[in-house]
Amino acid sequence: MRTLDLRPHHLVLWAAFIALMLLMPLMVGNGTLRTMIFACYLAMFAISWDILSGRTGYLSFGHPFLIGIGAYTTGILTRRYGIPVEASIPIAVLVTMAGGLIILLPALRIKGSYFALVTLAVMELMLQLVPVIRPDLTGGTRGISRLPALTRGAENGYYLAAGLMLAVALFAWLLMRTRLGTALWAIGMNEESVRGSGLSTTRLKSFAFLVSAGIAGLAGAFYAHYLGSITPRSFFDINILFQIIVAVLIGGAGTIIGPIIGAFFMVFLLEWLRPYMPGTERFFVYGSIALVLYMYQPKGIMAIVDTIVSKMKGSRA
Amino acid sequence: MKNRSTLILGLTASLLASTALADVKVGFIGSLSSDTGLSTLRGAEIAIEELNAAGGMNGEKIVLVSADTGEDVTEGVKAYEYLAETEEVDFIISGSIDDVSLGWLPRMQEFQIPTLDTWTSYIGIIDMVVEDPETMAPYFMNIASDEALATLYINFGADVLKKEMGWDSVVILAEDTAFGEAITGLVTEALGPVAGIETKEVITYDVGTVDFAPLFSKAQASGADFIYQVSSVNSQVISSQYVKLQVPMAMTGVNVSALGLEYWEDTGGAGGGISTLSPVPSVGFELDPESQKFVDTYQAKYTSRPVMPHFNGFNAYWGLKQAMAAAEAAGGFSDAAKWAKEMEKQDITLEKDGKLWLRYAFWGNDEVEEVTGRTYPHNARFDLTAPYEDAQPSMVVIQWKEDGQVGVVYPPEYATTTFEVPSWVKK
Repeated sequence: MRTLDLRPHHLVLWAAFIALMLLMPLMVGNGTLRTMIFACYLAMFAISWDILSGRTGYLSFGHPFLIGIGAYTTGILTRRYGIPVEASIPIAVLVTMAGGLIILLPALRIKGSYFALVTLAVMELMLQLVPVIRPDLTGGTRGISRLPALTRGAENGYYLAAGLMLAVALFAWLLMRTRLGTALWAIGMNEESVRGSGLSTTRLKSFAFLVSAGIAGLAGAFYAHYLGSITPRSFFDINILFQIIVAVLIGGAGTIIGPIIGAFFMVFLLEWLRPYMPGTERFFVYGSIALVLYMYQPKGIMAIVDTIVSKMKGSRA
Repeated sequence: MKNRSTLILGLTASLLASTALADVKVGFIGSLSSDTGLSTLRGAEIAIEELNAAGGMNGEKIVLVSADTGEDVTEGVKAYEYLAETEEVDFIISGSIDDVSLGWLPRMQEFQIPTLDTWTSYIGIIDMVVEDPETMAPYFMNIASDEALATLYINFGADVLKKEMGWDSVVILAEDTAFGEAITGLVTEALGPVAGIETKEVITYDVGTVDFAPLFSKAQASGADFIYQVSSVNSQVISSQYVKLQVPMAMTGVNVSALGLEYWEDTGGAGGGISTLSPVPSVGFELDPESQKFVDTYQAKYTSRPVMPHFNGFNAYWGLKQAMAAAEAAGGFSDAAKWAKEMEKQDITLEKDGKLWLRYAFWGNDEVEEVTGRTYPHNARFDLTAPYEDAQPSMVVIQWKEDGQVGVVYPPEYATTTFEVPSWVKK
């Protein structure tokens, strides 16, 4: 407890957050719960991206690649080999970590925009390769349908997605409060200084990458079973990447709650606009709002909240 | 005080009345920015207007809500969930492309909402109806499946491309999409054995391709007699470049942009010579009086593109009327299995000059189609054998001429013009 520097108000806030999330089905309708399920999965993808990119500053444009590995692994194992979901999802997580490590880890030796471009290239490569390599397994461009469902109904689906998201968020929050988390943050600030202090930045980055890949694989695998079908376009697509990055930037990079807020804000914004703008114009409004928010406060909604809280505290003092 | 009470009572009564009238809710799922998506939407809108004018469904007013998919798989799932859980629709009509339909199908199985697909033709979905008739009971597809389209196209290959034109080999130029993959597979597997046309090479291209010159050069280098194109995205690009580059090989196949009347304008007048397989009815297809009436209503109502509904607009128009008739017989949409039984019985026959011209009906669950030797439960009824007395052919081949005219070239029973190679291609 001491090394994590946990304080009573942390526990109270987490307990309140968990209680709020678990009570949601009593307060909202099934339509809203369905939207929240998508928001929960996007939040997990965003947290996963933030652990690598938000902390260490290594901007990964290949995150859908990791999510896709998790999704395709469980999809292939369950549909093509009849392996039960209880086994296929843990295997999917391990495969994502191993596969991602083999392919993307060498890229961690490259810095800045070059790293981002290499990861983007890997994702694009997967989009092209998945349909043509072993289409008997991947289902080609049509992907794999009829994946076994883990739950039925909005409420059950919500509890599963929210439970997973809370577990991932709590794990990431605790991890970031360790020395390891501090070291990852320091890499983002000044990698040379961290190396100068005697720490192996390669090992630290590898660790961040493994954790990030593990979460992406886990969330991707559960997401695939929630959707019930997977196609290359629904996973290895640049739009998924944009949604993840926008959620993190709008919510607040380098935080745990920020990507969650960003994901919920962006998913709900799109759904709220749907009845008024059923066509593609809602994406224009969505993009504009995200842009204005980002221009107003580049550190995201979390920074806006912090400012308001500080002002309130200041006025009380 | 009395006035206020009267006002409140009046408002409450009108609110209750409007709620009672809006009892049947139809959801549209598809792209609101594509000609195909809009064709389904508008076909459904016209059918609903006509049904409401005639008293609605069992006296209840029918209302339509839309959910855009943007032709994106995940957006398709969200759109279906929105229609099912937020709008709580009774019936869904879809103008979705293949992989989007595949994306939302698990939701249809979960919610058991009667759903009619008017554009997706993937035979794999009909296979799902065969394998899992219980959970797929609410699903209907009122376009001939791609397998049926390809089967008749092979006849075109044998009768026209091989016999009349004397072509022995083909190079396939297909886009890298689910649709491209399916059609390529069907054509390569059947064109050789049945029509005696050898596939020299399959060239796959990205849907974002803007320069087709290297691909046409590769196609020429294959030594094939003609090109078979498979293009559903930005199809006007490949055909206009084919014309502008005056590629010295004939090109036929599937070109979705050529299915709309806007094709000539979209290609800047450079679309002559292109022929394409098309579900029925297509542009250049002679219409029966009932279908013509629908087109007249459509053109009087909508001035923006597509100025002529694509085949799925017709499917939506007739299909929605059939879905409502089935619901009337089944006592509503709530019992999906009961509704499905009634939907299976729906049969609209449209005649032209005393001959069966178009038929909107479905295959019986155990009915075996003679040519393919398989069943097509919940799939639109089609006929693969001339003289097409049971239903219309599963497809026709249309051709755009160099003067901008368009007509049907195959099968002969529906032909309005003859197949010819462009003027710059050596015969």
